[in-house]
Amino acid sequence: MARLIRTEKEVEGRYEEVWLVVEEDALDQWPEGPLDVVGRPAARIDGLERARGEAVYTADVQLNGMLHAAMVRSPHAHARARSVDLAPALALPGVHAAIGPGEIPKLADLCGYQGAPVAAVCADTEAQARAAAAAVVVDWEVLEPLVDPDEAVRRGQLLSEPRVRERGDYERGLEEADVVVSGEFRTQTVLHNSMETHQSVVRWVGDELEVHVSTQYVWGVRDELASGLGLPADRVRVICNYMGGGFGSKNDAGDYTFVAAELARRTGRPVRCALSRREEHLAAGNRNATIQRLTIGARSDGTLTALGGEFVNAVGWGGWVAATDGPMHALYACPNVRSTLYGAKLNTPPMKAFRAPGFVEGTFGLETLLDELAAKLDLDPLELRRRNHADADASDGRPFSSKNLLECYRRAEPHWERRHEVRARSTDTVKRGVGMASQVWYGGGGPPSYAWVRVGSDGRAAVVTAMQDIGTGTRTAMAQIAAEELGIPLDHVTVSLGDTARGPYATLSAGSSTTPSIGPAVRAAAADARRQIEEIAEQRGTPGAPLAEVVSVLEDAQILGKGARGPNPTGMQVLTFGVHVAEVAVDVETGEVRVERVAAIHDVGRVINPLGAASQIEGGVIQGIGHTLSEERLLDPATGAVLTTSLDAYRLPTIADVPEIVSELVDVPDRHLTNLGSKGLGEPPIVPIAAAIANAIRDATGADVRSLPITREELLRALREAAERERRGAPAAV
Amino acid sequence: MNEHAYEVDVQVGTTLAEVLRDELRLTGTKVACGEGHCGACTVLVDGAPTLSCITLVHSLDGARVTTIEGLREHPMVASFVRADALQCGFCTPGQIVSAVALVESEPDPSAERIRHAMAGNLCRCGTYPKIEEAIRTWRD
Amino acid sequence: MELRRPSSLAELPASPGDGAVLLAGGTEVVPLIRSGLLHAETLLDVRAVVPRGIDGTRIGAATTLAELESSDEVPDAVREAARLAASPQLRNAGTLAGNLLQATRCWYWRLGRPCRLHGGDECFARTGEHREHAIFANGFCASAHPSDLAAALLALDATVETTARMLPVGELYRLPTTADRRVTTLEPGEAIVRIDVPAPERSVYLKAMDRARWSFPLVGVAAARTGGETRVALAGVAPVPWLLAGGDVDGATPLPRNAWKVDVARALVRRALAAVA
Repeated sequence: MARLIRTEKEVEGRYEEVWLVVEEDALDQWPEGPLDVVGRPAARIDGLERARGEAVYTADVQLNGMLHAAMVRSPHAHARARSVDLAPALALPGVHAAIGPGEIPKLADLCGYQGAPVAAVCADTEAQARAAAAAVVVDWEVLEPLVDPDEAVRRGQLLSEPRVRERGDYERGLEEADVVVSGEFRTQTVLHNSMETHQSVVRWVGDELEVHVSTQYVWGVRDELASGLGLPADRVRVICNYMGGGFGSKNDAGDYTFVAAELARRTGRPVRCALSRREEHLAAGNRNATIQRLTIGARSDGTLTALGGEFVNAVGWGGWVAATDGPMHALYACPNVRSTLYGAKLNTPPMKAFRAPGFVEGTFGLETLLDELAAKLDLDPLELRRRNHADADASDGRPFSSKNLLECYRRAEPHWERRHEVRARSTDTVKRGVGMASQVWYGGGGPPSYAWVRVGSDGRAAVVTAMQDIGTGTRTAMAQIAAEELGIPLDHVTVSLGDTARGPYATLSAGSSTTPSIGPAVRAAAADARRQIEEIAEQRGTPGAPLAEVVSVLEDAQILGKGARGPNPTGMQVLTFGVHVAEVAVDVETGEVRVERVAAIHDVGRVINPLGAASQIEGGVIQGIGHTLSEERLLDPATGAVLTTSLDAYRLPTIADVPEIVSELVDVPDRHLTNLGSKGLGEPPIVPIAAAIANAIRDATGADVRSLPITREELLRALREAAERERRGAPAAV
Repeated sequence: MNEHAYEVDVQVGTTLAEVLRDELRLTGTKVACGEGHCGACTVLVDGAPTLSCITLVHSLDGARVTTIEGLREHPMVASFVRADALQCGFCTPGQIVSAVALVESEPDPSAERIRHAMAGNLCRCGTYPKIEEAIRTWRD
Repeated sequence: MELRRPSSLAELPASPGDGAVLLAGGTEVVPLIRSGLLHAETLLDVRAVVPRGIDGTRIGAATTLAELESSDEVPDAVREAARLAASPQLRNAGTLAGNLLQATRCWYWRLGRPCRLHGGDECFARTGEHREHAIFANGFCASAHPSDLAAALLALDATVETTARMLPVGELYRLPTTADRRVTTLEPGEAIVRIDVPAPERSVYLKAMDRARWSFPLVGVAAARTGGETRVALAGVAPVPWLLAGGDVDGATPLPRNAWKVDVARALVRRALAAVA
C-alpha cells in the first residue's frame, strides 16, 4: 500500500524536507560480507564502449543541421554593458542569430565577475561562432571590483547573513583549557576542470525540447528548463548517457543550456553551446578560497574543551555558503564549539559545489591545527583523536546510524607505526615524515529515487531508471544489486539510464548520494520482480525453481518490478568516516614535497563494488593531492582577471605525481540505512588528504604549513619559521 | 588513417582533431583543451603519440595515423577495462593510444617508464594507479 | 593562410616580411596562431629542409626533443633537459630550435595583455601576480624564459649555426628594451640550422617543477665543466636563458613575491656544481 510521508534529505551538507511515496520496505539487508555479485569486484559494464571511444558524450553529439553557439563574456571583473551591438557579429559569414542582455534572463548587462555572459551568437561552425562573438561590440562601463574576502566582510558585502553555530559555552571551554592553540589557515580557489567541458546540444522537436547535456542531474536540468522556459516538465527531455566528469560543477542547467535553447528556438535548428577550456577556467564554477581563524582548547590529557573559528568563504558573485565549519562541529566530542561563517560576495566567478564542499577546506584547517595541539601536549596524534571520539552526534545527541571510526583508527595503526622507519630514512636535505587526519562527511543519500526492473523470457533483466553515471560506476553497481537480488549472473543484467523520457525519477549524482539513494530503489524493484516470479513458480507447482526456468514460459510477457528509495532512519545522524595516513619526503632546501604513500581507510557502510570503490578512493586522494600541492586559480590583484586559464598554468596531477595508495574499506553495513546499508564514497576520500600531508610535513620538518596549495614559497616560509622557533628554544614537533 | 585512405577538403589551419571529429565523424578522439596541454586528443602519427588538436592536417604529408577506432581490438583496451583503468572515460581513448605506443616499443615497461611515458595524458578522475596496472598487465 | 613546403634552405625568403612563419613541430606556433597571439599568412613547413639528427657534436635544428632524450651521444645536460621538458607527445613533435625560440609562459603575455613584450608600456607582472617570474634582469620585463634546453646549451657554450651566421647560443638572446622588444636576435628570414655542442667532461641539468612531470621550469639549472672551467646557466629566472656570473645567485633582484626562487636556485646551483665537480 502506498503512503505519503515527509522526511529529511541531505545533499552536500544541505538539508531539506521532501515528500515521499513509500511502499513498505520489507526487505531485510543482506548479511555482511561478499555475496554472489554484490561485494565482489566487477569491471565496468560500460567500460568497453568508453575505452574504445564508442561512447557518445555530449561533446560527441552531432545532430543534423546543428549550429554552434559562442558566448560573449565580460572581460572585466565588475562592469556594466552600456550598449551591446550585435550587428557586426550578424554580418559575419555563417552567423544565424545573436541574442543580447535581457533577451533571456541568463544574459545580463550588469556583470559581477570576469566571464559573466552578456550575449551569444550561433553560426555554422564553432570557429565562425567564436569569431562572431569576438566581433560583438560592447561599450563597457568598468566598475571597481571587490576581490578581497576580508574587505567584503568588513563592508558587509555578503551573500547571506553570517551564520553563527554554537553549542555549550565556548568562552568557558577556553577557560577550562590547559593549552590553547590558534592559527590562521588559508585555502585557495580550485577549479573542477572536468575533462569534458560544460556543454549542451538543444533542439526543438515540435514543441518539445530535447536536451543533450553533460550533467550530474538530468531531472534537475529538466525541471529547471521547464520552469525557466514556461514549459510543462514532461515536454522537456534531458539526455546524458555518458559524461566526462562533473565533481559537483554540473548540477544545474547552466547558462549555456538556456542560450542554446533560445538560439534553437529562433533558428529552428539544433544548437550546441560548449565552453572552451579557457571558459572552463573562468565561468564553470570553483571550490572557493577560504580564510579560517581557528582556536582549539584542550586539557593536558588531550580532551578538547573548546573549538572556535571564524570562517570566511570567498564565495564570489553567486553560489552558496559551504559548511567550512562543518568538521569542527561534527568530528569530535568537544562540548563547547562556536563558529561564525561568512559568505563573502566578491567580483569573482561564482563557486559551485566541488567534492565535499566546505569540508575539504575545513578539515585541512581543523586537523592541521589539531596536530599542532598534539605537538604542544606531547601526545600521539592518533591517540588524541581517539580520546575525542564522538560516540553520538555532539551537536544534538542523536545516535549515529553507524559509525566505525574507531575501527578506521585501529586499521590505521600499522600504517601509523611506519613513521619510525619512515623518519629514519631522512637525509640532510630530504626529511621524511608521516601524518594523519580524520574524515567526516555525509553520504546517506535520501529519497526520492525510483527504478524499474524488467525480466523477460530469456531470464535476463533490464534495470531502467533516469539516473546518470558521472564516471563513478553507477551502472555497474546497479547491475550488481539487481543481479544479486534476482539471483542471476551480472552479465545477464543491463542498465538503462540517462534519459528523463525513459525511466522514473532518480536523484542527482552528487553529495555521495548516488549509491545510497538509487541503490535501494534498484534492489526494491528487483525484489518486486523476484516476488512475482516466485508467485508464478508457486502457481506452476515448482516453488524454488531457478528464475531462468520459471520465466522461460513467458514468451512476450514480462515481469515488471518497481521500487522506491525508502525514508532515512529517523532520529539518527547518517555520516561517513575515515582516516588517512600520509608519508611525505620534503626537500628542505628547495621546498619540494613528494607524497610517497597514502593509506586511505574509509567507513561507508556496505561496499557494492570493491573494484569501483578502490578507484573512487584513489581518484579522491589524487585529486586531493592536486588541491594540496599544485593547483591554484590565480587572479590579477589589480583587475580581478583570471590569470590561470589553461591546463599548463593550472596544474593538475599527472600519473607521475601519484604515491603508493593503499585503500581499505571497513565494509560493515549500516544496519539502519535502507535495504542495502550502503553509504556514498564519492567524496570521503578527498576530505582528509590535505591535512594528512600537512601533518606529515610537520612530522618530517617541524614546519607548520598554514595555506594551500603548499607551494615552495609556503614550505620555505614554514621551514624558516620553524628554524626561528628552534633558535628561540621553543619546543619542536613530536 | 587506420589502414584506410581518406581525402578531405579543408582550409589550411584545420587541425587533425577537427578533421577526425567534424569531417570524418570519428568522435573516439576527444578534444578537452584544444591547446596541446592535456593529451586527450592523442593519436599515433607514424606510431608516435601526437596531439591531434595542435597538428595541422596539412602538415601530415603521407603520414599514417592511428586513432582509437583503429585500436578497438588491441589487448590494451581489454586490459584497461579489466583493471578498471577508467572512470568518466573522457581521457581514456588518449590514454590507450599513448599506452599502446609505449608497449609497442617496450612490451614490459617498468613503473618508472610507464609514469614517464604517460605523463602527458591528464586524468581528472585520478585513475592513474589503475592505468599503470593496466599497462603492466596488458598481456595477461 | 597558406602552407608551403620549401624544398631547400635557399628557398627560405630572405625577408619573408609580415605573415610568413616557419613551422616544424608546431607545438608553439599552432596554439599561438589559434589563440590569436601570432598571425601568419604563410606557414613554411621546413621539416624536410632543416637538418635533423645528431652527427658528432652537431645537432640538427629539427631534431626532436624525443630524439635528444633517447640519444646517448649528446651531453647529459642536453639529454636531461629534453627528458624533463614538456610531455611525451610534445617531445615527439617539438624540435630543438623550436624549443629555443619558444615564448614566455607569463600569463599576462599569454592572455594578450598590452605588456612591454607586446609593444605596450607596462609590465603587469611586476606590479601583479609574479610568483613564477624572473629574479634577474627583471626591471623592464619580468617574464621568465621557459626553455630547459637553452639553459643546457648556454652552460655547454654551444654554437648556433643559422642560415646567415654562426653565433654563441648566448647571443641568440637579448633582453627586451624600449627600442626593441624582441628577446631573440634572429633577423627576419633567418633560420636556425644546427647547433654545435662541444662535449664537456661532465654536465648536469636539475629542474624544479611543481608537479613531477609536464611543467615548465620554476627554476632550471644547467652546469657543465670543461677542463677547469665550469659554466652555470639557469632557465625560468630571467627573460632570457641566464648565464650565472660567478656561479652564485646573490646578484638576483627578486620581486616581492618571488624571492623563494632565489632560495631554490641557490640550492640547485650548489647541487649542480657538486654533480659536475
